[in-house]
Amino acid sequence: MQTVFSIAIDALAYGMVLFVISIGLSVTMGLMRVVNLAHGAFAMIGGYIASYVARDLGMGYAAAVIAAVVITIVIAIPIERLLYRRIYGQPELTQVLMTIGITFCIIGIANYVMGPTLKTIPLAGPLQGSADLGFRAISIHRLFAIICGLVVALGLWLVIEKTSFGVKLRASVDNAAMAAALGVRTEFVYAVSFAVAVGLAAFGGVVGAELLPVEPYYALRYMVTFLVVVSVGGAGSIPGALIACLVLGAIDTTGRYLMPEFGEFFFYLAVIAIICVFPRGFAGRVT
Amino acid sequence: MTVAMNNETIINRPRSGALKWDLIGIIVIVVCAALGYVLFPDNLALLTRILAVALLVLSLDLVTGYCGVATLGHAALFGSGAYAAGILSAHFGINNPFLMTFGGIIAGAIAGLFCAVIMLRAHGLPQLVLSIALIYLFHEFANKASSWTGGSDGLAGIMPGPVFGLYEFDLFGHTAYFFGVALLLIVFVLLRILLRSPFGLLCRGIREDPLRIRAMGASPKTALVKMYVISGAVAGTGGALSAISTQVVALDALSFTQSAEALVMLVLGGTGSLFGAIAGTLIFMLFEDYVSAANPFHWLTMVGALLIAVVLFAPKGIYGTAVARFSRRGEGSQ
Amino acid sequence: MKKIILYALAALALNSTAYADVIKVGVVGPFSGPFALQGKNFKAGIDAYMALNGKKVGSDTIEIIYRDIPTADPAQSKALAQELIVKEKVKYLAGFYFTPDAMAATPILKQGNVPMVIMNAATSAIMKTSPLVVRTSFTTWQTSTPIAKVAFDAGVKKVISVVSDYGPGIDAENAFKAGFTKAGGEVVESIRIPLATNDFSPIMQRIKDSGAQGVFAFLPSGPTTLGFVKAYNDNGLKTAGIKFFAPGDLTQESDLPALGDAALGIQTTFHYAVSHDSPENKTFVDAAAKAIGNKAELSFPAVGAYDGMHVIYKMIEATGGKQDAEKAVEAVKGLSWTSPRGPVSIDPESRHITQNIYLREVAKGTDGTYINKETKTFEKQGDPGLAATK
Repeated sequence: MQTVFSIAIDALAYGMVLFVISIGLSVTMGLMRVVNLAHGAFAMIGGYIASYVARDLGMGYAAAVIAAVVITIVIAIPIERLLYRRIYGQPELTQVLMTIGITFCIIGIANYVMGPTLKTIPLAGPLQGSADLGFRAISIHRLFAIICGLVVALGLWLVIEKTSFGVKLRASVDNAAMAAALGVRTEFVYAVSFAVAVGLAAFGGVVGAELLPVEPYYALRYMVTFLVVVSVGGAGSIPGALIACLVLGAIDTTGRYLMPEFGEFFFYLAVIAIICVFPRGFAGRVT
Repeated sequence: MTVAMNNETIINRPRSGALKWDLIGIIVIVVCAALGYVLFPDNLALLTRILAVALLVLSLDLVTGYCGVATLGHAALFGSGAYAAGILSAHFGINNPFLMTFGGIIAGAIAGLFCAVIMLRAHGLPQLVLSIALIYLFHEFANKASSWTGGSDGLAGIMPGPVFGLYEFDLFGHTAYFFGVALLLIVFVLLRILLRSPFGLLCRGIREDPLRIRAMGASPKTALVKMYVISGAVAGTGGALSAISTQVVALDALSFTQSAEALVMLVLGGTGSLFGAIAGTLIFMLFEDYVSAANPFHWLTMVGALLIAVVLFAPKGIYGTAVARFSRRGEGSQ
Repeated sequence: MKKIILYALAALALNSTAYADVIKVGVVGPFSGPFALQGKNFKAGIDAYMALNGKKVGSDTIEIIYRDIPTADPAQSKALAQELIVKEKVKYLAGFYFTPDAMAATPILKQGNVPMVIMNAATSAIMKTSPLVVRTSFTTWQTSTPIAKVAFDAGVKKVISVVSDYGPGIDAENAFKAGFTKAGGEVVESIRIPLATNDFSPIMQRIKDSGAQGVFAFLPSGPTTLGFVKAYNDNGLKTAGIKFFAPGDLTQESDLPALGDAALGIQTTFHYAVSHDSPENKTFVDAAAKAIGNKAELSFPAVGAYDGMHVIYKMIEATGGKQDAEKAVEAVKGLSWTSPRGPVSIDPESRHITQNIYLREVAKGTDGTYINKETKTFEKQGDPGLAATK
């Protein structure tokens, strides 16, 4: 019984970390219809900035998180204007080509500028160490990641469903021409959503760095995982992404506990099974 | 979400000119192959590798370019062919290169059938993810079956015999190169015929409007499965060529990276045309070889820049855009 | 066809005498991609050797040509080796980080009349594929066998082994098991985990449930190592007194700053620590740190490359710059010298390096950086792997 609880907690923690990192991708893919394979690259940039601010400048974890989100967005704005704007509404494969190209460039530059070693982000004092749950220990940072995930999910849901910006965003997504005719500045809406998505990527990169350490190849190494999670959830749906992360996290964790030798088999068989049952993902819309 | 393609202009060429284009295609390939042999006699290993990958990209074009099935797992078919050819030689002592190639074709076709059955259950993004899951399953399976495949150490001990008992596969790679060119030519001609057949037209129709095809009484799914099997045979040929020419097969033949690279090459050249697929492979691999030799440490940035440049300046792929420009000019002068 | 080959061979032979003043060495390694750090270390080791010993052997100038293979890709490796031999006319092949890459290139050595010096790839079986291969790195068997004795002597009788599910991992598992059962201990469970594992908490739970007193682990260096060691601490295994043993790949110096305090006290056995105390090593570290630019990035592939260059220089001396692979390899059989890692020699039979294996513990150095502190020496260790797999 203890083992079951223990696995459940691990699964929850892993799922929430996945959620924090992937949700930004769900926004770009689902709401903006861009297959953004460079999502991991932005998460990596965030991680590097946080590492630099916290470790080399010694400014503390909170400052590192804020700096990572803000600076990554600043870096992303020219990229959005110059490159992404050209692929909105283009065929998916063109988007794949462009975003893989961007990823390659960012990897090459990161390797050149930051060097190929792993970079860590020193945690704030209260987040270090482990908490004793009675039957097992869990790192406090994991609990923090779970809370971050919940806050992000709730915040995004409120923005999209309850604010006027959310209304404009959904309108622009459903019918850009009509929304523009009604006075919505769709370009502005897209730019802001892109900034939010990139900011979330950077935030996820920092919060998830304990599990997915920052190094130049980060951008490609975890790309598949992010893509799988978002698609299984149904791109653009926040509850869908949440469910997908929890389910896949649970399957992955259980599989790795019971039969570590076949960990990959479990995970990908589950993905195939889920998509066969839900061909549009858990909460996918009909498009 | 459906995968929208972008070069109708290339495809809808009148049938009367088709034979002429076949001939031109064959001549272009032969001339390029001869040029490669004369100009780069020391790079035959690279050129043979390009031939093998070109077969993979052609095969990917059949399902992605002509049928609109986006996949990031096509190396599963290629790798199956490579392993089949390799296992025939390493474990069963069947060293005749033609038999090995045939083994690769069969294995590729079977893998194609298997992938088709699973892949065609979804569309768009989830379909893409299915293909990713499949390639990882294939990869893990080959890793686990290490007594057959050599696991992560690779399958060594592949010793293809001489072609027609005369031409050995040696260090300089002449035999492998001509063997590869011959395979590519045969595949190219067969595919041209196939794509012009009613079946080929049906597949294009499915990409454009599956609903109407169903209304006409044809079954899109059966056609797609068939096409997938054919595509598997082509990819298997490439895999077998790779196994025969390098005499080693490893897990990277079944990897996500190989699949993704193939897709990048296809889109780079232009989807929906055999020339686009071959051109994309050639350009990408030559470029990669050149920049990675020039700067082995930071060449990835250059490749990335190339991909971005192609999207910005040749959005239909290099070949696709060139054709579009030519045909527009042609219309203007008439 | 055969005539063409003959002509080509003749041309090759002519070329090699005509350009005897420049001897090219082709180095194949991962210089970009996920293992770029290891490739960078290759280059640092080579640069350091050439900075200290000059670029000339006799009257011949040595030129290095680098070729990149980001991940294990034998087809590409073979194509590159072929290109290096046929087009660039290299007289020596060197480098090779991954076993399959080395295996793919060995069959063409004889035809090309080129010896190969392996600077990393650590599977025992490579040496059997061609008599023209010499290795200056280590094998996983060689570095993983002594740790079994260390574990047993530390009073640990039950161990669980956790390795990544690929060639070197399986080698490490077998080597440890063989050594540990021979010493009288018991491996209660052997777990193989997929290479792409991000979250190690379930594995830690499994280790706890197994009731073992210690864990033996092998994972490729980089992100997985970091995740594994962090999980070992965070899940309370360290505080529960479960001891941690591993070969030194896990505590590679370049990973230590990231591992930080979490790694303190971990015991590993390996052939080289950057902190090794000897005048030879000091000279080497100074030169290699200068070559790589940042001393923190320096780790074991550099020393393999450095000694590899030593072997190549000796080969060139012995052959007088002529292309004679067999003579070159023959000349270095039994060669012994003092490497930065300590006394080493090339075993005449296996052509693999015989060397000291050190027991090390991760500790904080005097300047506050983390180091692998050598605490014990196992002298003159050969490769037990070849005998075991025969």
